[in-house]
Amino acid sequence: MEELELLKKDWNKDKPEHKKLAATDIYPMLHKKSSSIAKTLFYISIAELVFWILVSIIPYFTSDSYRKRVESIYTNDTFFTVLNILTYGIVLLFIYLLFKSHKAISVTDNAKKLMESILKTRKIIKYYVLYNLIIAGISIVAGTLVAINQNPELSNTVSHFSDKQKLLGCAIVLGVSIAFVLIIWLFYRLLYGLLLKRLNRNYNELKKLEV
Amino acid sequence: MNKETEHSFVELLETHQNIIHKVCRLYTNNYDAHNDLFQEITIQLWKAYPKFRGDAKFSTWMYRVGLNTAITLYRKSKRSITTQDFEGVAFKISAEPYDDTEEQQLKVLYKAVHQLNDIEKALVFLYLEDKDYSEISETLGISEVNARVKMNRIKTKLKTILNP
Repeated sequence: MEELELLKKDWNKDKPEHKKLAATDIYPMLHKKSSSIAKTLFYISIAELVFWILVSIIPYFTSDSYRKRVESIYTNDTFFTVLNILTYGIVLLFIYLLFKSHKAISVTDNAKKLMESILKTRKIIKYYVLYNLIIAGISIVAGTLVAINQNPELSNTVSHFSDKQKLLGCAIVLGVSIAFVLIIWLFYRLLYGLLLKRLNRNYNELKKLEV
Repeated sequence: MNKETEHSFVELLETHQNIIHKVCRLYTNNYDAHNDLFQEITIQLWKAYPKFRGDAKFSTWMYRVGLNTAITLYRKSKRSITTQDFEGVAFKISAEPYDDTEEQQLKVLYKAVHQLNDIEKALVFLYLEDKDYSEISETLGISEVNARVKMNRIKTKLKTILNP
């Protein structure tokens, strides 16, 4: 194509593209903070880990009654101890996977591989959030059932409910849980959607080339 | 990293800075965004510098890191969004009739290249830099055949933009 050759000729003319930077202009740049997607994703994943760990432990330290109840459950029941170990095991596994995938992001890989590494990290965060949302959803439902069972006043009230009222009660609890999970899920979709919009578009474009 | 490494890196970057400026020129459309992307590429190069092995040319290595930053890692900063960009100027150029003078042709060509998507720009950039298809395919992570096919499609696309 003639035009592109014309462009090539002009492109490679030895003319400065921009004001030539001196070494003194470059030195300060080395110590500036990066605002790359990989770094933002790293901060988000750290915030994510800390947030969900705090959500699970804050009630334990702030509420005496909650702590007593949890302690009595755990000392008496092997099932809950196993469950507890399993929960922390899963969190540790996610921490390991996240750090491993962050380390694998390398700007010197080819473009496609770099994009894949970033998307893999995003996927791990996605599964971590999904896992926590499912646990949160189950906890709301289970917590309500336990509260009804263990609180005589509440269980007395519920026992006077008609079948229709009980059904309505279940529907409300379930509805609230689903709404809670959905709102948080939508928030994440928006957050990652905005952050990775361009990356996804470029990755799809590269993938399209290989079809 | 020690002072000596910093010094040798800055020296290399100073010599080859035009490569980064060219990437910025292609992927940004205003002065602030240009500087912003330049800075981000410099940071990425510096961070990756310990991994740079002398067996590759520094400039070749810069192409990869520069393009990766522009098409994958770079997030537009608030600073570059708030500044008025060159769109108005570019629009004026496209509204002018396409005549045979070389300068005018070049203006329209640059404007047409700016309308390509990020991946197409990367291909055009490497092509303009006289890189062969094996290097283009290695930089982008696609096969050589597909790089050729895509380049041909881009040429056709540019033709359509230039002669609607």
